[in-house]
Order: sequence, then structure tokens, then C-alpha cells
Amino acid sequence: MTAATSVDDALASFREMMASDGYLLTWEPVTDDAVVVRIAATEGACEDCLVPLPVMTNIMAKALAPTDYALDHVELPPGATH
Amino acid sequence: MTILEALLDPTGATGGENDSTLSPRPVTLAGLTVGLLDNTKPNSTLLLDEIAADLRRDYGIGEVKHYVKDYFGTPIKDELFQQIVSEVDIVITAVGDCGSCSAATVADGILFERAGIPAVSITSDAFAMSGQAMADVQGFAGFQFVMVEHPVASLDVEHIRGRADQAVPEALRILGVTEVV
Repeated sequence: MTAATSVDDALASFREMMASDGYLLTWEPVTDDAVVVRIAATEGACEDCLVPLPVMTNIMAKALAPTDYALDHVELPPGATH
Repeated sequence: MTILEALLDPTGATGGENDSTLSPRPVTLAGLTVGLLDNTKPNSTLLLDEIAADLRRDYGIGEVKHYVKDYFGTPIKDELFQQIVSEVDIVITAVGDCGSCSAATVADGILFERAGIPAVSITSDAFAMSGQAMADVQGFAGFQFVMVEHPVASLDVEHIRGRADQAVPEALRILGVTEVV
């Protein structure tokens, strides 16, 4: 299993959860051992449903724990109020 | 003139967030005043009323008081929180069926537990991670909440009845209730 597949697997259930509120989750490595997770709003996304950043960060950091990567940071959509 | 406004922390953190001790459990619900905290998400009122009806019929709860948050995405405001704490014996709050409202529903339950009021927070299972992450952020990783099958908001009355059937046994377990009247 490649590292990228591992991260995809680790974030799969949260990606599904975000999609329920109309958000798209992507990630990319920023160093050899850390990734940035980006949350983007799709058309019709529930703006008020976005998880607060501290909670989002907690979720991502825990989700990535079994992978080869740590969380560098989470980026929320522009204008996110949380 | 400088106007200062209190900023609302979306995590509900207030500085007293390290207490992870549950409030004393009631064992029996007979005669207890139950607060139903509606977060304004669709079907919250119906779900809470169905649960309360079961608890009245089978467990003899006393008065039921209804409360409504002004916004589902952040924890309860202090004025309403203090009112509820002063008026009820236990609290049931619903429904977390989105990211922010699941987190806020769990945060509300933790606030009540820390104030000595046994609390049941209800989310949908699709947003369990959101609720658990909020519990972690609040320093109360062991806080247990009820997860009913997703979705909730889009259901009709019959299916909400089914969600109440899922919620009641878990609510009783969380409250430590063993006595049926």
C-alpha cells in the first residue's frame, strides 16, 4: 500500500461526512511527513454546517495517526466563519 | 468610543473545560423534570417529543420543559444555559445531523454535565466523528452521546418514531437508569 492510498483510506469516512454537508475534502503533502487538508465548498454547501476549525483539526490529526503523515494544518473555505 | 463585544468561541470552551466527571446519575426518572433542548434543526422537536412521550409512559418522568436554541451551529448561550440548569433535573438535546450542529450538541451536553445536570446529546451516526472530536477538544473524551441512524432532518413522522426507538435505550444507558415504573 502506498502512503497516498493510506491517507485516502484514513480520510475516507470523514470525506463522506463532509460531503453530507456539501463540502469536498482534498489533501496534499507539504513536507515528507506532513499533509495539508483542504475543505472546499461545493454548490449548495451548508455554510452554517461547517465544523469549527479546532474540531476539524482534531478530527484530521486523529484520522492521520495510523498513516505515515502528520497533519500540518487544515484550510477551510474562504470566508468560513468558524 | 471603543465598543467591546464578547466573541463566541465555536467550541464553547470557557476555561473550565478540563472536568471530565459525569454528574450524578439519576437511577430512576420517576417524577424528574426533563428539559428538551431543541437546536432548531428540522425534526428536532418531533424527535425530542417522541422520546419524552416514551419516557413519560415507561419511566414516569414528571414535567417536560421545552427550550429552543437560537442557532444550531454553536454551543448554547449562557443565559439560556443558566435558565435550564435552574429549572430541570436532566436534559435531552437534539439533533446533530450536520458537522457543526453535531459538535455543538455534544458541547451542550458536556456543559450540562459539568453543571451537574445529567445530559443526553443526540446526533446522527454520520456525524459521530464531529461529536467525538468536540468531546476531545472539550477535554471530555469519554463523554457518551446517542447516535441514531442518519438522516433525521428529511424524515417523516413514522421514521422519526423509529429514530426515537433507537434513541431511548441508549439515552437510558447513558443516564444510568435501570428502574421502570
